[in-house]
Amino acid sequence: MVAPNAIISVQEVSKNFSSVVAVDRASFEIGSGEIFGLLGPNGAGKTTLIRLILDLIRPDAGSIRIQGQPISETHKNRIGYLPEERGLYFRQKVMAVLEYLGMLKGVSIERVRSNARDWLKRLEIDDLRNRPVQELSKGNQQKVQFIATVVSDPDILILDEPFTGLDPINVHLLVRSIQELAAKGKTVVLSVHQMSLVESLCRRVFMINRGRQVLYGDLEDIQNRYSEPSFLVRSGADFQGCELIDRFTSHNAAATVYLKQGVEPARFLRWLVESGAEVESFQRARTPLDEIFIRVVRDSS
Amino acid sequence: MSKVWAICKREFLVTVTRKGYLFTLFGLPLIMIGGLFAASLLSRETLRDSQANQGPAGVVDRARVLDYSLQAATRPIRSTNPLPVSGVGDQSELVAYDDLDKALADLRKGDLGSVFLLEADYLQSGDIVVYSAEKGIFSQLTRTGRRQLSALLRASLTSGRLEKEVVARILTPGRFKQMQVSKQGRIQPEGNLLKRVGRFLGPFIMFFLLTISIFMSSGYLLQGIAEEKQNRVIEILLSSVTPTQLLMGKMMGLGAAGLLQVAFYVVLLVLPASLLLTLMTLSPGQILLSLMYVVLGYLLFAGLMAGTGLLGNTSQESQQLSVIWTMTSMIPMFLAASLMQQPHSWLARSFSFFPLTAPVTMLLRLSTGEVPAVDVLVSTAVLILGIVLAVKGAARLFRTASLMHGKRPRLREVYRWLKEA
Repeated sequence: MVAPNAIISVQEVSKNFSSVVAVDRASFEIGSGEIFGLLGPNGAGKTTLIRLILDLIRPDAGSIRIQGQPISETHKNRIGYLPEERGLYFRQKVMAVLEYLGMLKGVSIERVRSNARDWLKRLEIDDLRNRPVQELSKGNQQKVQFIATVVSDPDILILDEPFTGLDPINVHLLVRSIQELAAKGKTVVLSVHQMSLVESLCRRVFMINRGRQVLYGDLEDIQNRYSEPSFLVRSGADFQGCELIDRFTSHNAAATVYLKQGVEPARFLRWLVESGAEVESFQRARTPLDEIFIRVVRDSS
Repeated sequence: MSKVWAICKREFLVTVTRKGYLFTLFGLPLIMIGGLFAASLLSRETLRDSQANQGPAGVVDRARVLDYSLQAATRPIRSTNPLPVSGVGDQSELVAYDDLDKALADLRKGDLGSVFLLEADYLQSGDIVVYSAEKGIFSQLTRTGRRQLSALLRASLTSGRLEKEVVARILTPGRFKQMQVSKQGRIQPEGNLLKRVGRFLGPFIMFFLLTISIFMSSGYLLQGIAEEKQNRVIEILLSSVTPTQLLMGKMMGLGAAGLLQVAFYVVLLVLPASLLLTLMTLSPGQILLSLMYVVLGYLLFAGLMAGTGLLGNTSQESQQLSVIWTMTSMIPMFLAASLMQQPHSWLARSFSFFPLTAPVTMLLRLSTGEVPAVDVLVSTAVLILGIVLAVKGAARLFRTASLMHGKRPRLREVYRWLKEA
């Protein structure tokens, strides 16, 4: 499955650590400007894949290309990386840490300072810039870690669990920032365990379990593939006597309705209208991603 | 290069503002100088006090051989040395007693430091019984009046039997005048004690401070890398720079901090000491070679410490691992006395040709005098080879060990990482 304008291309990549197969022939492509979900249970091989893309470790087989080329120093300068575990100089002041990590991406100190100030304001921690990192709360340290990733204004962002330690308000703040960055054409590789965030942020996903690819593609297609022909109906109708449906489950004022084999959704909708009941909403029901995640992991283990 | 410079600048600034660095820079020389001064004062005062507390020595001469009128003539002749080791010479007065009990009573009262008993058959037996009071450890180390009594015995036994000059030479066989012959054949007096002590102490202090600089700077590198691994910053750094760039930046920054330390010691301590007190007898060539060994030693240990810093899970664990390098390199320090006495022995040369012991040994040898050119060449060559291997190995470990957390790796694993990277 080829992504339009692929910026990262991983082809048949394998990596072993002694006798442990960390990644086994993984292949996927990430398009420019998309938010791409990298999913998998703990220890599945996500971090190894990220480290392979970043050239922190070398693959035993296969190839990884950034903009069609093997990764070079120029590419490294254009990639911002937020690791799963916080990596900051805890005794140093926030601004000094941001300046140093930004400059290591080959960006001038003036630009780094200006970007850092903008991001500190945007993430509402501007007043903490002269405080040592160790004095900050975990949530604010995570925000500093995020700013360290974007302070050099990179084209590609690799975010491994960026929402760790954040409360719902700050999760929302960060989600909005990621969406804004993607809207500006930045490519985001997002590895998270909150499937609801993947559903709201990502268009395409790659899922790995025990080093092997188990899912890859358009999120909507995947959800459709794993969903039975069912509809979420919010109405006052009584489904008991309907010959078109196989079964239904009621929850609050709505019901999930499973149609019989071969029944067209339009026919069911017509029945609903003709029944005289007031219809508030009628939409296709999709299996939530976390349900698919559990099912896929269980099946592939 | 700008990335290497950014790393170098940060490492330098972080290091020179560390409390440990500032203490080593200002505190260590002060403590060393103060310690030496205090030790010298203390030992002088202790001996002086000890002797002052001893008092005169009583003599019971049952053999009737002593002529007390000769006592003044038996005082030691002052040395030509203008600065004798004061407080060490035994200047005790001898007091004659007829009755041993009376003398022992005075000893118990503390009026006497010791009592000598020459029995009637002294001339045949030569036996002299010495009584001393229990007065702590120094009363056992000092022998009050023994030298005076020996001199008085020699004078009394020879007086009237030999010529006056012969008696004088028996009492004082010679006045030694120390001359020194340089390699160029220049002969000059050896100088006073301060100069003689300085000739040894000046270069030794310089050797000590230079050695400290090597291990402090490379120790900071170990600590810094171990901390960056522990707090996971290293993963972010390696996503921006290559392992070689990171290692180079760190080595340059910490090396500069080490050199600043050396420059401080040389400009503020060694130079004034050599100008004012003539303590430094090293030639400019020896000083330059010493500085070269400081740089080479630093580069070698920086490479080794960087690699070791990556192997532990915490900085404490890495420091424990690094003991193997510091202990090995310090072996010449433990044998310093022997190596300084025989700086060209096979042992000194062997240590000079082994990379781990070469920096300390060569600094030690250079502090004692000139070192043959062939030794300098061979030790420099092995050191450069050692540096290349250590730095290459450390750069390889950055790629693998820096991301490994948890169990401390076994030697076999380390070898595999070095091969694979």
